[in-house]
Amino acid sequence: MGPSGRDERAWVRGAQAGSASDLEALFRAHWPRAYRAAYLVVHDAAAAEDIAQEAFLAAIRALDRFDRRRPFGPWLHRIVVNRAIDWARARALRAEAELGEHGVPDREPGGADGLARAIAALPPDHRAVVVLRHLLEYTPGEIAELLELPRGTVNSRLRRALDALKESV
Amino acid sequence: MRELRTRLERLEVPEEHEARERAWQLVARAYAERGPAPRPRRRVAPLLAFAAALAVVAAVLSPPGRAVLDTVRDRITGVQGAEPALFDLPADGRLVVDSPRGPWIVQADGSRRLLAGWREAAWSPFGRFVVAARANELAALETDGTVRWSLARPDVRFPRWHGDASHTAIAYLTGSRLHVVLGDGTRDIDACGLPAAARVAPAWRPGARFVLAYVTTRGRVSIFDVAHCSSFYGGRPVISAPFRDPRLLLWSDDGERLLLVTDEQLVVLGTESAAPLAVRTLRDVTAAAFEPGTHRVALAREGEVLVLDLDGRQAPEVVFAGPGRFGSVVWSPDGSRLAVAWDDADQWLFLGPGGRVEAVAGIREQFGRFARPVAWCCPG
Repeated sequence: MGPSGRDERAWVRGAQAGSASDLEALFRAHWPRAYRAAYLVVHDAAAAEDIAQEAFLAAIRALDRFDRRRPFGPWLHRIVVNRAIDWARARALRAEAELGEHGVPDREPGGADGLARAIAALPPDHRAVVVLRHLLEYTPGEIAELLELPRGTVNSRLRRALDALKESV
Repeated sequence: MRELRTRLERLEVPEEHEARERAWQLVARAYAERGPAPRPRRRVAPLLAFAAALAVVAAVLSPPGRAVLDTVRDRITGVQGAEPALFDLPADGRLVVDSPRGPWIVQADGSRRLLAGWREAAWSPFGRFVVAARANELAALETDGTVRWSLARPDVRFPRWHGDASHTAIAYLTGSRLHVVLGDGTRDIDACGLPAAARVAPAWRPGARFVLAYVTTRGRVSIFDVAHCSSFYGGRPVISAPFRDPRLLLWSDDGERLLLVTDEQLVVLGTESAAPLAVRTLRDVTAAAFEPGTHRVALAREGEVLVLDLDGRQAPEVVFAGPGRFGSVVWSPDGSRLAVAWDDADQWLFLGPGGRVEAVAGIREQFGRFARPVAWCCPG
């Protein structure tokens, strides 16, 4: 359950005015979903942490300019999911020289959960629309806006992804 | 599809709580550093003035208050007989001085130039240029402030320049990403896609072409070869155990010792493995600098300046003590002087051989509040 709009506006207003406790409330309300969304797209805990963390740092940099009438969640999720897609694409492209923390692969997400494996097998773009639609509960129109894609593309990616996931679900 | 949502919410995500707490530490620190919030327009000034007046009266009347005032007076006093201004440097070379107005370049003869609007300047390897940052810009500058090149990058921090006569490179942070760009401003890359960096300046290993150490957001020290994105320790793990609250990272100038200063510890790493050679407890160190040609390090913290031999087991030697905060320590290139910013006394000290102390007063007036020497470079 996300925070109420009134709470969120109050936290943003407080954080803009210098209240660390309001910032913390905002962070704690949004971190779990931001981190989970990033993780489901990149399937790497360290990368997901970086991505969600950088999204919050970007939020702090833009805090004074943030329009309090707009909800904070979609703005944050746009950064998280777009960065996660970029990261997943880059990882697929480069031959990874595994170093240190990356040397030990994460456990298979969800252990023996077939759904987790099925999501991991999807292309990053498809994972992203599934996460936005079914974890963060955006409409296809909103997803199209967040990812700057035609709505038809979002719908087709969703359909293909759900077909692939059908057996697991 | 509700079932799908429920299952996505219940999927196990590794280190969920630990990641949240690590991220919160970083976010809270970034928030604290972002500068003052706009001042709300409230009519509190008369109340504040009354409260301040009450505090002053209480301070003067009560014995503990008088003790506090005595301490404040001590801080103002500083070293007796200090020079009223910086007329020249007591050893060869040029200083970079950090100040809220911007970095100053101070020549050996005491002449100086302010690079207004920039911050966090660091010398190029031969001291011909400096690299400096603005909120969303990284630039190489001549020492007169002429911009040679600049890059637009968000939230630039901690630029550090390294190299030899043929190749140079600059490491810096943009947000929590570690980037490396060539000395001519080309080929800016996210350094090997490594884990995000803590707000600690990265450190190039002296004597090696492009070996860089940095601290991850999890407090681990990573040392790697930037050119090949490969492990430094011959294929063995390059990342140390995590250490809480990292603050500073610096190499000895022979490249054999790497010191991580945390809130409570000094962690000494060598070049044979990622396991620490020594971990010593020393709290609240605010600045550190290796003495040239040695494994001795000068350390500043509230009330004292220390020198510690990292290869020995002796207690640190107190080389100067006084009330208040010491904001920076920097060795002269020949190792004959240790420059110390004594913020609360509004003085810089130059500690020399045999306990000699040369002090310069009036720093605030000459360079601005909290102006501190941060790098001493390149005689001649």
